[in-house]
Amino acid sequence: MNTRTRRSILAGAPAAFGLAGLILSACGGDAGESAAPAAPSTGGAAKGAPVKIGASVSTTGSNGKTGQYQVEAYQLWAEQINARGGLLGRPVEMVILDDQSDPTVGTKLYEKLINEDKVDLVLGPYSSGVTQAVSTVTEKYKYPMLSAGASASDIWKRNYKYVFGVYSVAESYFYGVIDLAKKNGLKTIAIINEDTVFPKATAAGTAEYARKEGFRIVFQEQYPAKVTDLSSLITKLKAAKPEVLVGGSYQPDSVLITRQAKELDLNVKMLAFSVGAAMPEFGEGLGKDADFIFGPSMWEPSLKTKGNSEFEASYKKKWNRDPDYHSATGFAGGQILEAAVLKAKSLDREKIREALSTLETDTVLPGKYKVDDTGTQLSHIPVVIQWQGKDKPVIGPDAMATAKPKFPMPEWKGR
Amino acid sequence: MVTLVQVVVSGLLLGGVYALLAGGLTLIFGVMRVINLAHGEFLMLGAYASFFLFARLGLNPILSLFLSMPLMFGVGWIAQRVLISRVVRAPLLTSLLLTYGVSLALTGGAQATFTNDFRSVPFLSGALNIGELAFSVPRLVACVTALVLTGAAQFFLSRTRWGKALRATAQSADVALACGIDIDRARMVAFGIATALAGAAGTLTSFLYTVYPEMGKTFMLKAFAVIVLGGMGSFTGAFLGALVLGVIESTASYVTTTQIAEAVIYITLLAMLLLRPQGFFGVKEA
Repeated sequence: MNTRTRRSILAGAPAAFGLAGLILSACGGDAGESAAPAAPSTGGAAKGAPVKIGASVSTTGSNGKTGQYQVEAYQLWAEQINARGGLLGRPVEMVILDDQSDPTVGTKLYEKLINEDKVDLVLGPYSSGVTQAVSTVTEKYKYPMLSAGASASDIWKRNYKYVFGVYSVAESYFYGVIDLAKKNGLKTIAIINEDTVFPKATAAGTAEYARKEGFRIVFQEQYPAKVTDLSSLITKLKAAKPEVLVGGSYQPDSVLITRQAKELDLNVKMLAFSVGAAMPEFGEGLGKDADFIFGPSMWEPSLKTKGNSEFEASYKKKWNRDPDYHSATGFAGGQILEAAVLKAKSLDREKIREALSTLETDTVLPGKYKVDDTGTQLSHIPVVIQWQGKDKPVIGPDAMATAKPKFPMPEWKGR
Repeated sequence: MVTLVQVVVSGLLLGGVYALLAGGLTLIFGVMRVINLAHGEFLMLGAYASFFLFARLGLNPILSLFLSMPLMFGVGWIAQRVLISRVVRAPLLTSLLLTYGVSLALTGGAQATFTNDFRSVPFLSGALNIGELAFSVPRLVACVTALVLTGAAQFFLSRTRWGKALRATAQSADVALACGIDIDRARMVAFGIATALAGAAGTLTSFLYTVYPEMGKTFMLKAFAVIVLGGMGSFTGAFLGALVLGVIESTASYVTTTQIAEAVIYITLLAMLLLRPQGFFGVKEA
């Protein structure tokens, strides 16, 4: 007689779970054409066939949140340019797709934008990983692209002729923080980062600059994306006793690091995160634990740059929320493209490429737009913010500061 | 030495959260032989439930379990009745495709409804220090809650009438039916409980991590690993597997790096499949 127990009934399961795991990883990121072309908003005196400007930006997937800001900025820019009479008198029509934060999907979508949607011009995607992949496509078809959402310098190390930086390269994000640490007499630094394109570039640039400035790097390690626990990493950090801790990180891991640093009582004199810290949600998520934490920002609402207050007000009015710096870089991408088209006086992509490589113009971002021979952005100036209570004022560089930095970060126990 | 104990403590606390999620997954598989790829999305829904109750009403996330778990039970019940019941007897691939579809729909639905904004529940923070050891307060609370809920579910399965009906259905649906057990209802109860447990895991993760529509995927692969380690369909096995995985993860992260630890987890999983495919608590197939 067959006396199968419940357990033996279930014994075939391992293979099944293995299969499930495979499916999960295989289905992780493909089939990404959740295309939602933005409606052409024609206004003002714009006439004639619309100028189609295509972009694919991550609005779902791990970077969906940040990418959304960039999409909103593109759409705001298009609306405003149409209200002003369009581009060379023709209305602008944005074709915006979603790459699901997946570089492979991104390249497919730019192929689609160029070959099927037959867009006249393109704007860049969000994140360095996607931009790096996508720029091979735009280079192939000779479409000049402003990388309004990417900053890893590798993008400009390949002798590409059609990709132009909008803001500072990732490597330089923490220069301001390091300068501040040096000014306060700190000597040791630890650098941790997620093992993806942008955080890696940030960490590499920070390490190089810190060494040059005479810091001793006492600990350096990477962690995988979607990490669920960093307690072991923090335990090791505690043993290394750095004075400055810098995280090449996005929002979820920045919050996780801060929480676990408090739990394991890791005390440093300065703590800084690359992307997470400048986002409003960072303060909301951590409450007063966010205090004293530094972060680089490519833009802040308080800056007195050209057209900044108008940009902020119109953004709030259209999208009913505050712009993030990713909104500003997206908007600046539009502004630069507009300036380049006006300079080229044509939609000819070769002439626009020429214009972009020699152009010098103001945007809502601090500094100017001006690239070198490789297309790397050199004239943009990143600022440093610090969480102080519910605000995150600019504390450097001095010319743009709205508050003094609070230093050092007190020990967790005394807070 | 203290450091190593600290690492093990952190691993155990981490394992507690994995246990709740894996418990539900293993229950569904045990009773229905359906692998629920949407389980991580049920965790995400639970996390959002707690987030909104906290943000709008200021409700303590642990107390919010009393509201969110019955709610998630209902969600699971309906999902079973409307969707899963159709594929229980179908080949494995059919149910995989269905639950993968449910997972995509729930993620997309959450993105459309809740937006991609990162949400947090600033509920507990800091640590309880005993000697030189630090016990993360939020993780300790999460782990103890997980232990209580897993214990309650285990009690339900082994001691109550409905629990017995569930186990009978798991053993042999046909014989259970012949004995007068309403197997459709037993399956709905099983799916409901599993979903409620996933929701509870969501509540616990809501104050440990950032809440966003794609958060479920972060935990799913770990949950699968836990089940392979612990033994399929075994509730106790899932709990033990979760703790072991937590400790392996944190120790490997400490000794090597967090990056390598990720690989260590999957190598352990492969080794387990090769050497003891039935897991800690399984029996070799005759």
